Amino acid sequence: MVAVLEVRDIWKAYDTLEVLKGISFDVQKGEVKVIFGPSGSGKSTLLRVINMLTPPDKGEVFLCGQSLMDSKADLCKLRTRIGFVFQNFNLFAHLKAIDNVSIGPRLVLGMTKEEANDAAHRALEKVHMSNWSHHYPAQLSGGQQQRVGIARSIAMNPEVILFDEPTSALDPELIGEVLQVMLDLAQEGTTMVVVTHEMGFARAVSSEMIFMDKGVVVEKGTPQHFFQDAQSERAKHFLRKLEVLYGQSETEKT
Amino acid sequence: MRTAPPTCFFEMVGIGEYYPDLVSGFSMTMGLYLFALFLGLGLGIVLAISRHYGGPIVTRISTGFIEIMRGTPLLAQILLITILPYALSIPAEYTSWQIIVPDIYGIERVVLNTRILLCALALGLNSAAYQAEYFRGALSSLSAGQTLAAQSIGMTKRQEIRHIALPQSLRRAIPAWSNEAVYLPIYTSVAYIVGVPEFLSAATLVVARTYEALLVYFITAVIFLVLVSFITLLLNRIYERIRIPGV
Repeated sequence: MVAVLEVRDIWKAYDTLEVLKGISFDVQKGEVKVIFGPSGSGKSTLLRVINMLTPPDKGEVFLCGQSLMDSKADLCKLRTRIGFVFQNFNLFAHLKAIDNVSIGPRLVLGMTKEEANDAAHRALEKVHMSNWSHHYPAQLSGGQQQRVGIARSIAMNPEVILFDEPTSALDPELIGEVLQVMLDLAQEGTTMVVVTHEMGFARAVSSEMIFMDKGVVVEKGTPQHFFQDAQSERAKHFLRKLEVLYGQSETEKT
Repeated sequence: MRTAPPTCFFEMVGIGEYYPDLVSGFSMTMGLYLFALFLGLGLGIVLAISRHYGGPIVTRISTGFIEIMRGTPLLAQILLITILPYALSIPAEYTSWQIIVPDIYGIERVVLNTRILLCALALGLNSAAYQAEYFRGALSSLSAGQTLAAQSIGMTKRQEIRHIALPQSLRRAIPAWSNEAVYLPIYTSVAYIVGVPEFLSAATLVVARTYEALLVYFITAVIFLVLVSFITLLLNRIYERIRIPGV
């Protein structure tokens, strides 16, 4: 079976700063890949490279076998099949929650207004935001905005959703509601690539974790592998730091 | 003899006879204003988008236009555009056509000819340069994140500009843009210098006939003040009505 995503030897530099130095991995259908690592390790850049928001200098990305770098490929079309959830939500400020979600299906997928609204309502229901569909982003809490952001992605019915630190901009008490939605999605078999430091989430649903540092993949493995016998010094060190930060309980939870 | 104007005020201050001149002068000013404002609005949006999103050539063209229009006096622009045809020996006062309409007192007035049109055009082009910068400022103030979000759901650049960037930046631009909207009616007075029968030229005519300079110019100023206050009020209303809740 063709992998949903194939990331092949990605290199990216900003001027002289090498951010990504030869990253490769595959994402199979239904997999939840968690990418973690210190800030500046290139995680966010990597996610942006995957849907070409930041084109790489070298390397290639395939979506279900089709290259995103093919000059003949319609990039906008391919992007509709890759969802993206941003750290800062990035909702469209002038649109109500429901319109934030329905604008993609309507404008990009070419649905009629009614079809797009139906799709948007279903997506909002999934993230438990149906009661807020007529609120504007600025009238919603961070957690609610992020859930609308997730709904905006799933309404496009993508093959894979990329999450770029979806809970990092949230108050601690709002993180739970977003993680719950993500857990639900993962359990439904949604293919996901998640950049996060939420190790509880990683442990619960990730099929593989990728530890990045300074633009390279340092270590890959299952959650068990990382939490029981991480090999590299850097990964061990980083996980210890996370423990100090979030408390032992976070990594002990199942 | 003209029929008595219905305004006691102008009668009282002794310029009742010239009331119709002032009315048609004011109408001319409003005509110039509205034409220039909306030409400037349309062209200003195009200029702002092309300067903000354009490639190297398009950006340079619109930047050049904006800076030249903002960098030279409006009077010079109006003089240039009305005199240039003479230098090219086109006239017979611009090949002779005009639209004459009787005003509310039945007096025939020239409401449009080439000179007035050229003048309105100059005002509109000048205003476009200023309006473009208000819109460009609003465009640059939008968060880059929304652009990424639009791209991530597969929107084309055109869709993103049309459905995400413009609706927000046009709203945001209103307070700053109201500057242009209230300044422009006053600015149209420059047309007086090239002989367009607008409000100031009507007032000057009345002064020449009555020697009531202080009074007439004072009334002119007050009328402008009322007009500008009305425009401000209207724009505030519009802004409140269409502003994005919670922002």
